[in-house]
Amino acid sequence: MGFAHFWLSGFDQIRTGFWAYLAVGLENGSLYAMIAVGYTLVYGVLGLINFAHGEVFMCGGFAAVFLTHGILGETVATGWASVGLVLAGIVVAGSISALVATGVEQIAYRPLRRRNAPKLAYLISAIGASYFLQTIAGKEFGYGQNIFPAQVFPAGQTLFFIGKTPIHTIQVVCLVAGAIMFIAADRIVRSTRLGRGIRAVAQDSETSALMGVNIDRTITLTFIIGGSLAGAAGFLYSLQNGIVQNSGTELGIYAFTAAVLGGIGNLRGAALGGLLIGLFGSFSVPFAFEGNISWTEIYTFLILVLVLILRPTGILGEKSGRTA
Amino acid sequence: MKLRWNKTVAIASIGALAMTAIPLAAGTATSGAAAKPTYTIGVQGPFTGADSDYGDYDYAGVEFAVSQANASGKYPFILKTAKFDDQGSSTVAPGAAQKAVGTKGLVAIVGPAFSGASEVSYQYYHAANIAEVSPSATAVALATGSDSSFFRTVADDSVQGAADAKYLVTTKGEKSITVIGDESFYGAGLAKAVAADATKLGATVTTQSIANINEGGGGNAAAYSTLATSLAQADPASIFYGGYAPEFGLLLGDLASDGYTTNNHVIMSGDGSNDPSLITSTSPATAANGAYLSESATGKVSYFTGKLASEFTKLTHIKASVAIYAAQSYDGANAIIKALVADKATSSIPTLRKETVASLHKVSFVGITGPISFQADGNLKDDTGEVQVSEVENGTITLLTSVG
Repeated sequence: MGFAHFWLSGFDQIRTGFWAYLAVGLENGSLYAMIAVGYTLVYGVLGLINFAHGEVFMCGGFAAVFLTHGILGETVATGWASVGLVLAGIVVAGSISALVATGVEQIAYRPLRRRNAPKLAYLISAIGASYFLQTIAGKEFGYGQNIFPAQVFPAGQTLFFIGKTPIHTIQVVCLVAGAIMFIAADRIVRSTRLGRGIRAVAQDSETSALMGVNIDRTITLTFIIGGSLAGAAGFLYSLQNGIVQNSGTELGIYAFTAAVLGGIGNLRGAALGGLLIGLFGSFSVPFAFEGNISWTEIYTFLILVLVLILRPTGILGEKSGRTA
Repeated sequence: MKLRWNKTVAIASIGALAMTAIPLAAGTATSGAAAKPTYTIGVQGPFTGADSDYGDYDYAGVEFAVSQANASGKYPFILKTAKFDDQGSSTVAPGAAQKAVGTKGLVAIVGPAFSGASEVSYQYYHAANIAEVSPSATAVALATGSDSSFFRTVADDSVQGAADAKYLVTTKGEKSITVIGDESFYGAGLAKAVAADATKLGATVTTQSIANINEGGGGNAAAYSTLATSLAQADPASIFYGGYAPEFGLLLGDLASDGYTTNNHVIMSGDGSNDPSLITSTSPATAANGAYLSESATGKVSYFTGKLASEFTKLTHIKASVAIYAAQSYDGANAIIKALVADKATSSIPTLRKETVASLHKVSFVGITGPISFQADGNLKDDTGEVQVSEVENGTITLLTSVG
């Protein structure tokens, strides 16, 4: 196959399959964005990358498996039952993950913070927490055992068509849930008392403590917000892909990349970065050399490198100190 | 603080002494009472993880052969079995192999179960002169050497690939096939063989590859949904996937949601996906229905019959009809036992290991899967090349036909 022909055939595939690639790109992108929020918020207030965040996401996925099987068993929900179960799934998975995230903060980070440990200690502690959670999940549910939740709506269900392209319920649910949760998180950080606390701690934790901000409480709440978005993402992800003990590793890397691409510490940057990475991932598939899908990752990270060369602080710029 | 440390050290030392003393005592007691030397046949394969069924089945075959040998009382040795868990992964396998090499009394290995794991384990076993008899590692490249210490009681992927291509092109009449490899040693190898043979038979073949997730490929589940989207766009008449059940299941589910199903297309995979776990790895499970799966070996489920089948199940608590490759494993263990008989059984373990490799090159007997004797490269001499094709029907893998 000639070089020109290769590119032309790629563009041709995109022309005919535009809506399908867009839909799957937005679906994955929404999930990356929801996870990226947690990375960026924690970076904002603690100045560290919470490497256990991918596992917080994974816990949400497993919570969804138990919840949905507990309620549905082998049956398939439809109509309003589906709507209720999706909401219940988001709430329960979000809560479980928020709980895990605060647990990680209390056990892996707080003692270090008390002792003014160097940043490197946090990093090792984070990796430890990540391995701990992954190993527990592997031991409990089986290594490499991909488990699907019960069908809260028929798997592969088509909600509507754009032209001839079917748009699936899962794609719409991911995009809508992602948008709502992101807007909620953005509002909390920008215009509530709690958000003001988060932004103050991000800017200067010592001064804000002197001004009466309860630092411990603020940090815990940051982990709760990030954890609940990751948990909700874990639930939605598992509906399409199932969940396995190492799901958090792969997704975590993508979401972390999204946070850096958008500008780490910047909430809106995380959302933008997530969507862009999702879209790069899907639209680059037709350009995979010799049909090797791993090329999409090469393209994605190449673009990340190019963006960082031009804008070292990410697309929207690092706003550490304001986290918004 | 100092005192506590000393105490800890003291307790640890006593513990360590006790630990070393126990096996020593046990070893003496066994050899003294039985008056026959005890040899261990190790089994390397996945005993944890998504593919642990394969390891359990392989182990069951060896356990059965060993229990029969010990019960017969006619051999000048007593046999034991030991498991070495490699999770089917190339990254875990070197550790498992080294553990096996260091195991006292271990004379030979049945396994490794997977090709990638076999590739990385070979150097450790070969250096220690330990024979490996794999019941299921089918990658062509594994058996090449002339003084091989690797043997297998199963036909290789060139046989399976040719049969799969023949089934798709000749039996099903497919003229346009997209062949996808999972970038594992086994999956990519099988995909390559299918692509080459299908092209030879006149089909138009497009090749694709995607990193696997669970065999250490570092793949991303989200990439499978984008691959499915692009496959549904390209809409090839048929798809062959070279890889394992968890990812094949993921792909089947994603393809079905994009409207590409077994109702209007032929979708096939090899023995890596031929496992009941394929059904639970597919969402919805019905998306697996109609998928074709091959298995390199004749009548894999019919080797253990009658009394043999019931004795197998009684001992291992595994139904003989589901235990893929247990029969090959059973034959592999029996080949090792026959080699041990040919060895001068009184020699030291290192010598015995070496002799077993040489003896395996000479064994010749009729196993339950067919005549067992090996070529210089470790492949079976009598490689009939028959391959079984099954279809998933209502969530059950059902045998259809044999191709060869």
